[in-house]
Amino acid sequence: MTDQDTIVSSPPKKKVARTAKKITAPTKKESQTRPPLAKSHRPAVVSPAPKKERSRRTLNYLLRSSKEEIDKQEGRLLVIDRVDSDVMVLSPPYLDIQNPRIVETVSVRRNNATSIQHSLKVQAKRPPLEKLIPRLEILSEQLNKPDLWDDPARAGKISREHGSIMGKMKEVNAFEQELFEHIDMIKLAREDNDAELELTWPNGTETGSPKALLQLRTHIKEKELEALLAGEQDPCSCFIEVQAGAGGTESMDWASMVMQMYIKWAEGRGFGVTVVDEMPGEMAGIKRATIKVDGEYAFGYAKAEVGAHRLVRISPFDSNKRRHTSFASVAVIPILSDGYSRVQINESDLKIERYRAGGPGGQHANTTESAVRITHIPTGITATCQNERSQHQNKASAMAVLQSRLDHLETERQAQINAEHTVSLTDINFGSQIRSYVLHPYRMVKDHRTDYEVSDPDSVLQGDLDGFILSFLSASLDKNKDEDL
Amino acid sequence: MKSSSFARPSLSSILQPVFSLRPKHGRPIICSTILPKPHTPIYLRPPAFQATLSELKKWHIWAKNQATSVGSTFSDLDNGPDSTLLHRELNWLVEDALEQPAILLPQNSRNNYDDATPLSIRACLDDLYKLWKQRIEERRPFQYVVGCEHWRDLILSVEEGVLIPRPETEMILDLVDNAVKGNEELKNGLWADLGTGSGALAIGVARILGLGCGRVFATDLSPIAVAVASYNVERYNLQDRIAVRLGSWFDPLKDVQGELSGFVSNPPYIPSEDINGLQAEVSKHEPRLALDGGANGMNDLIHLCNGAASMLKPGGFFAFETNGEKQSKFLVDYMHTKVKGSFYGVNIISDFAGIQRFVTGYRA
Ligand SMILES: C[S@@+](CC[C@H](N)C(=O)[O-])C[C@H]1O[C@@H](n2cnc3c(N)ncnc32)[C@H](O)[C@@H]1O
Repeated sequence: MTDQDTIVSSPPKKKVARTAKKITAPTKKESQTRPPLAKSHRPAVVSPAPKKERSRRTLNYLLRSSKEEIDKQEGRLLVIDRVDSDVMVLSPPYLDIQNPRIVETVSVRRNNATSIQHSLKVQAKRPPLEKLIPRLEILSEQLNKPDLWDDPARAGKISREHGSIMGKMKEVNAFEQELFEHIDMIKLAREDNDAELELTWPNGTETGSPKALLQLRTHIKEKELEALLAGEQDPCSCFIEVQAGAGGTESMDWASMVMQMYIKWAEGRGFGVTVVDEMPGEMAGIKRATIKVDGEYAFGYAKAEVGAHRLVRISPFDSNKRRHTSFASVAVIPILSDGYSRVQINESDLKIERYRAGGPGGQHANTTESAVRITHIPTGITATCQNERSQHQNKASAMAVLQSRLDHLETERQAQINAEHTVSLTDINFGSQIRSYVLHPYRMVKDHRTDYEVSDPDSVLQGDLDGFILSFLSASLDKNKDEDL
Repeated sequence: MKSSSFARPSLSSILQPVFSLRPKHGRPIICSTILPKPHTPIYLRPPAFQATLSELKKWHIWAKNQATSVGSTFSDLDNGPDSTLLHRELNWLVEDALEQPAILLPQNSRNNYDDATPLSIRACLDDLYKLWKQRIEERRPFQYVVGCEHWRDLILSVEEGVLIPRPETEMILDLVDNAVKGNEELKNGLWADLGTGSGALAIGVARILGLGCGRVFATDLSPIAVAVASYNVERYNLQDRIAVRLGSWFDPLKDVQGELSGFVSNPPYIPSEDINGLQAEVSKHEPRLALDGGANGMNDLIHLCNGAASMLKPGGFFAFETNGEKQSKFLVDYMHTKVKGSFYGVNIISDFAGIQRFVTGYRA
């Protein structure tokens, strides 16, 4: 064949280039811009506890999730902010008003403490690297054999595996180094008599134990994340589906606000976002919509959002200006990649309906409408797509959604069979109410699972969800561990 | 008149003797001087214009209001687009025309982009107003507005004078795919797409035939169609495997008479008197030459059916698109009676809407 023949490339389909806006450190800005707490909206506020008390509790908050108590005593003033992607920082917002310096030191130390704490949780979850050491020895031995390259294929395999284990060991060493530095800092902190920073290690592990340290193999920047996102499907991309509850235009408007919140959240995290399916409401908002969120750990984070989201506000659609409560339910479905076992779909089990203009079709009609709905007859599960520009593409997208739904269903079924699979499933129930967004008579967003809350609904609706997500994930991690012990 | 649209000496020499890009008796390349220059779809133009964010927002709001004000008037009137669809089209226009389309998305409305930010666009602001006005007021088809149609897995350039490929027609490629599967002779043979329009079927068929010896001829009587089809063929880098020729049906293919392994056609099949009653996008804007199939709509189908017998080699495959049950049955009946013995395995196949749309079969 000629050279030309081999380059049969189609013009790339143009994707909407979305500006990936990185979330920038919100701590400072927020603490500066956060308005003084309006007492009238917060009847539960009691005066802040003395500083030491507070610090200990805030630390506990992260480590043991004894949040309720703090909430009661401190009037729900805690905010977990992200300073950068690797750490959670506790910044009680009132502190900086009184003394910004304190916030900083407290935060920095707390970072380290929590990081280490989390890394030890990672340890509990990962196969010990130790196991790899004998393997490494065998491989090294093989590599040193003079006849190694007699079989180049085998030699390549051996040297690759050797390299990969060496890489991991290197990581561990670097991590160890870092961990020691952190521990030094803690010691310093202790000498400062900041006794509350003392840590209790899980399983009574000694702080300096090289055995424990050897098992920590990931870089410090990843470890918290990995601890929180250790689920098998967590690394996957996902679909997020939002469906308006009963209540007409008001709840459809709410559903579209929720969808916007996720789009912004996902874009802010640098994920790719595509609207797959969207059924607009008659007057405003959406009846339902599905977006595809592409990126590593998209599912791991987004799964924290599954459930019913409740809005309380004066409805702009009510001419009598009454207060309305509406719901939107959120489902999150992982998109399993090829490595996972996927449900086999029989073509003959599918009913594929396409939009048609009505009438004789063909040359008679010209429409850009090309919606496709696919029904999987045995399960009754359907998937719809109409946002692509050709029927072919809509069908492909709808099939992808259907495949993921069926995979998800199968995972849940499996999980029910071997009830080990506790985290993602028992905690995630499509119907249960997980969070309230109150815009009237006071302003607050509160998560009912973790009691995590913030007093600035606008920022949340603008996609500032990480606090909610991380607090939920770390709460379910703790819960899981308690169950494991 | 016949001609190859872009014969390249170097390539045709590679391809000979299996496949000559020049018709044996033709005068090559003459139409490069006659053929109109195809328009570039908006999404492929350089972002050579600028407008400020506030200007674009203003345009966008105006355009949305235009779309909303249509309501269901068009769909009630003649099955035209309703507001929902027009809003979706507007999103696609934004997607095609702006270098950073995301900036106009609703979720960015509260970002602190400065309204004075200059943004790069692929058509000037005045044109954006003009284009959307044409879409709403003149019912100019959206695909002509943006200059392209997303069809199957292709993005085809289209413009006035060329039929916008229909979703029903996508299925012909499935039929070809089925016929070619496991049949190396068909897969490596010569194919034709008669009345190629934008080149949709020819390109689809060439991609199905793959990298073997299979080659495709695409013919059309309309110079604009030939120009646009050639442009699309080049965009998909298939110029070595598809030859686009100007002329009526089989006329430009005299040199391969009796040698075709397969051919497909979606000829004009609408009865003449029906055309004025079609939705405005079709009746007012699409070329009559592409739609009008004569008094009962069957003129071209019958002509092609007769030609099929002499053009195909034994075992060769054909697939026609028709207006529906009546025409399909008529055609099958015609094959069984008038050109008796020429074909076998003649079949009617329904489209996705259940309309008996396609007639397929093999040369005996
Ligand atoms: C319905 S359109 C089909 C276009 C394209 N194949 C498609 O499916 O989108 C019919 C095409 O036949 C062409 N046509 C009409 N009369 C013709 C003729 N006598 N010879 C060749 N092509 C003709 C028209 O120009 C038009 O492009």
